[in-house]
Amino acid sequence: MSNRHASNETTAVTRKTFWETNEPLILGVGFIVLVIVLWQIVPSFFTMSKGMKLFFATPTMVFTAIGDLIASGKLWPALRFSSSAFAAGLALAIVAALPLGVLMGRSRLMNELFDPFVTAINATPRLVFLPLIIIWFGIGMTSVIVVVFIGALFPLLINTYEGVKNADRLLINVVRSYGASEWDINRLVVIPNSLPYIISGLRLAIGRAVLGVVVAEFFGGSAKGIGVIMVQASSSFQVDLVFAGLIIFMALSLVLTGIVRAIETRFNRWRPEKAKTF
Amino acid sequence: MDKFFEDWRRPILGSLAIICFFLAWEAILTWGIPLNKFIISKPSLIFAGLFQDMNSGLLWRDLLISGRPLVFGYVAAVLVGIPLGVVMGWRVRVGYSLDPLLTAFYASPLVAVAPLVIIYFGVGVAGKATLIFILCVFPFIFNSFAGVRSVDLLLINAVRSFGGREWDLYRIVIVPTILPFVVAGARFAIGRGLIAVLVGEFFAASEGVGYRIAFYSDMYVLDRMFGYILVIMVIAVAFTEGIRWAERTAFPWRVGM
Repeated sequence: MSNRHASNETTAVTRKTFWETNEPLILGVGFIVLVIVLWQIVPSFFTMSKGMKLFFATPTMVFTAIGDLIASGKLWPALRFSSSAFAAGLALAIVAALPLGVLMGRSRLMNELFDPFVTAINATPRLVFLPLIIIWFGIGMTSVIVVVFIGALFPLLINTYEGVKNADRLLINVVRSYGASEWDINRLVVIPNSLPYIISGLRLAIGRAVLGVVVAEFFGGSAKGIGVIMVQASSSFQVDLVFAGLIIFMALSLVLTGIVRAIETRFNRWRPEKAKTF
Repeated sequence: MDKFFEDWRRPILGSLAIICFFLAWEAILTWGIPLNKFIISKPSLIFAGLFQDMNSGLLWRDLLISGRPLVFGYVAAVLVGIPLGVVMGWRVRVGYSLDPLLTAFYASPLVAVAPLVIIYFGVGVAGKATLIFILCVFPFIFNSFAGVRSVDLLLINAVRSFGGREWDLYRIVIVPTILPFVVAGARFAIGRGLIAVLVGEFFAASEGVGYRIAFYSDMYVLDRMFGYILVIMVIAVAFTEGIRWAERTAFPWRVGM
């Protein structure tokens, strides 16, 4: 490839490098714009029957719906409800997962005893427990928090455990021969070593937590929240409002995972490629 | 004896932990706390209820009902996802164009499209299969995408210098390289597929495993509900651990991907 361009290089150096460096960005953004434009102009090419029109929403209609949600003041209470349930569930998951993960990584017996349960619950879609959770915790914020908690717990737990297990034996032995206690070993070697793993786990956990908010609000875990707005809109066939909720959820999880991904690369900068791919 | 225990330590301790868990559960609710059937059930009742549902054929019918859309949606995801991922990896510009949009979809909670899918496709097999397809297709796309990008260019050049055609490249280099990635993708996809089945059936259905769980919970028949939850757990573990086992046996050099 580069050989073929080499002969032209003298004539169009600057333009070519600009295109070559920005090609992924231009093509990626361009494709998204293209999809939105096509979606917008579909109705002007096909005349839709009345029934079809009812179920169709163009991007402008969706953005008007988001604007209406903001203007009517319905968005903020719903957003506050959804995000506080998200934050509380995630915080509880972090508090529970880190000690348990360190314990499972440091003690072989604990690992062997807990592993079947972790594997089983991690493989199962946590959604099956939703009816049970609603019976136990009722309809409201508590149920949503519990759903978020069990969703976010396992990626964090498993990644903490992997990180602790992969701690360098040599470093642990060095610290130990200088007379360190178990607490010092954890503080000096194990936890710094597992930090990148924990942050990767956090990224996965955020995805699961947003998923938990969505499903818990869909299936009667709460009477408020953005998911509830979506379900009510879909039962009255307000497709634009359903899309609006979908876009809000998408934006939230993209922003949150983006932030964690930035932290992840920051922490991984000095690390060999091996740990990054996890 | 010691050697035997050392070799089988993990499965023995694991099974012991599970057996103790069920025994403790049974014991606490029999002699400890009085059993309130509207809040919790105990293993003896759960298994008795499960056997009743098996003998009456209800469980098998529900499994068939839920299994059909899962097969349709999953097969469609394989058929669309792998070729799309391969093209994205092999044709660089296609990759540049599709990657951001598809990444945005993959990172977002796609279950949120469920109300829309049900508006467009109804609550039957078509609606469920579509939802399953939407959730399952992304692991296949991104794993075959990553697989193709990790293809060794040296091997490609070697095949070309020995006079290999485009088809030979796919047969000899590309397919063997992406296979482990695709199988790992299949493992992620099956978990997402099960979520989609449950979401589809919780929303609106009159049969199926998800519907039955919601129904039993509405009726407060908790022992039967726990039975169905256990069945789903066993199926989920069998699928994911089965695929993980296949990965370990077929591609031992790629464990832990």
